[in-house]
Amino acid sequence: MAKVNYQINSSIPAFKNFLGIVVILIIAFILNSQIENLQGGTALSLSLWLGISFGAVLQRSRFCFYCLSRDFIEIKNAKGLFGIIVALIIGTLGYHLIFGAFLIDPIAPRLPPNAHIAPVSWVLVLGSFSFGLGMAIAGSCISAQLYRLGEGLLSALIAFIGIILGFVLAFLSWNFLYLEAIQQAPLIWFPHYLGYKGSIVLQITLLIFLALLLLKFHKKQKEINKTQKWWQIKWPTYVGGILVALIATVAFLRVSPLGVTAEIGSIARTSAGYFNILPARLEGLDTLRGCLTIVKETFWSNNGLFIFGLLLGSFALATFSGDFKIQIPKIKESVRSFVGGILMGFGSMIALGCTVGTLLSGIMAASLSGWIFLIFCGAGLYLGWFLRKKYKLN
Amino acid sequence: MKLIKKVVLLWALLFTAPVVAAPSDFLVTTDWLEKNLNNPKLRLIEVSVDTGVYERGHIQGAVNFKWHTDLVDPVKRDITSKENFEKLLRQAGVNNDSTIVIYGDSNNWFAAWGAWVFDVYGVKNVKLLDGGRKKWEAEKRPLTPLATKVAAGNIKVSDANNALRARLIDVVAVANKKSDTALVDIRSPDEFTGKIFAPAGVQETAIRAGHIPGAVNVPWGQAVAEDGTFKSPEELKKVYAAVGIDGKKPIITYCRIGERSSHTWFALSKILGYNVRNYDGSWTEYGNSVGNPVINTAGTVWGGK
Repeated sequence: MAKVNYQINSSIPAFKNFLGIVVILIIAFILNSQIENLQGGTALSLSLWLGISFGAVLQRSRFCFYCLSRDFIEIKNAKGLFGIIVALIIGTLGYHLIFGAFLIDPIAPRLPPNAHIAPVSWVLVLGSFSFGLGMAIAGSCISAQLYRLGEGLLSALIAFIGIILGFVLAFLSWNFLYLEAIQQAPLIWFPHYLGYKGSIVLQITLLIFLALLLLKFHKKQKEINKTQKWWQIKWPTYVGGILVALIATVAFLRVSPLGVTAEIGSIARTSAGYFNILPARLEGLDTLRGCLTIVKETFWSNNGLFIFGLLLGSFALATFSGDFKIQIPKIKESVRSFVGGILMGFGSMIALGCTVGTLLSGIMAASLSGWIFLIFCGAGLYLGWFLRKKYKLN
Repeated sequence: MKLIKKVVLLWALLFTAPVVAAPSDFLVTTDWLEKNLNNPKLRLIEVSVDTGVYERGHIQGAVNFKWHTDLVDPVKRDITSKENFEKLLRQAGVNNDSTIVIYGDSNNWFAAWGAWVFDVYGVKNVKLLDGGRKKWEAEKRPLTPLATKVAAGNIKVSDANNALRARLIDVVAVANKKSDTALVDIRSPDEFTGKIFAPAGVQETAIRAGHIPGAVNVPWGQAVAEDGTFKSPEELKKVYAAVGIDGKKPIITYCRIGERSSHTWFALSKILGYNVRNYDGSWTEYGNSVGNPVINTAGTVWGGK
């Protein structure tokens, strides 16, 4: 993405631009009235609205992990990745603020409730790498598939078939992976070693170092003059980063850390259960932390509503800004989405989350697992990008 | 005389530590608790089943006990040791003269189980918040996510009082009619008759279905009113008298893993004052034990017929 000099046009959007927002708000309010009186209704309702906000922010700021990385690799534009670092810095502060309320002294083995602190083992490395490779092949990670589906990108549906299949493959390997590595793997949470202050200092130092590294490679972009209406202009990624961090902090405080794969995995696990192809017991899975997949017992779950909200929020703002466009995939793109989906589904199941659940929510929570995911997902992504270029898979 | 009276009264006012006057010896109402939250003698303890419930919003001043690590021995199947329990209570700021109020989610199941552990170790002044979290939340009373920092307490706990605890040998004696004790099975009717081994979705189960011979079935829920509070003593008496539990002979309560039966243990022993032991091994021990009599009216067979 080259640098664009906008000329802001101060006119008012046409009535049709608002239609999507109005329809989505009506759907959201009706749904809200159905769920808020259920058991745990406050969390359900909050999940829906946080999902809508998350979808809107992702859509407006193009918060797509693969697209932002590709901008950096191909045209040395580091601004997008810089936005992710902004999210991680503010999220680190938000999370530690909450840690101090939830758990006054971070003394081992106590951990803050439900924070995504995942076991560190070669399985996490494998999962992160598979996820990164998959997101490069498919063209976007799971959260971006979701918001781009809200923009009318139909190849995302094919990616989801792949993702569910990937989950099933991961379930079939789970007992082996769990007993081989995960069961004995340590949960490494920086505050146990450094206290909250030390953990904040370490995290922010690492993130600033990363930002400086990006800055070193960053190249000034060609300028293009372009006239766009204010509602069409994409928000800078750092604005998206700030908002993502706020949503992540509020979600951790009130419901649970952000994640987008728990519900997908639950659907995969529940439906695979009907066909009796899964092992009767997935060892230890329900005792871990992260985007865990449970067998569905109730129709509405917090994570299900969050994902549904994400789609609604993205659709509402995509139609408002004129980004909505039904895109029917070509064969090559369909195959890429499917194969990438399988790799992402497999990777995010065994890594207990994706770029949102393990990378964002893990690093914000000062868990080593989040950093490991960042490194190996990045490596997988680079390989995927390279393969796509080499074999002209675009 | 008047002067002496005045002096005595003044002395009493000045030197008597603020006394927590609870409406009942073993239960406090949500209303009472909210008015007494700032009483320095009060120690509030939450024992909930779901993780994250306490942290995201608890009653002001409460500390969190985790039933599956704090109150049990994590290696062998047993309640926590005396030393660990005393340490836990001291860290929670409990003193010898504290008034302890316990509450939790899921109708106080684990809170009642906590109260039983407190009782086993001879801790005095332990009360349950009647209705638990459910009622507190339903009444829209305030919650806070801020954890409570407390100064260490000085409580000394006694050796475990095994008179409150029934063991396998005790219930086997009842099953073989060698002990004149009433057994109350508080599980669902389907578990009692043996139609199912355990409720759907639970991990812990037994490889035999049914119940201990001689037991009567009074599901735990029959002890609570609509709002989650315990029924009145008169109503409770009626519920249990209907199946012949009148307190004239000792009682043992059990369930699947021993926690919901603590709820009934609490009703029978604390509210009605009967002589009750809780069998914490419960069906997961008895139904797995070898050679002991079982009544399985449903005829369910482990592994299929």
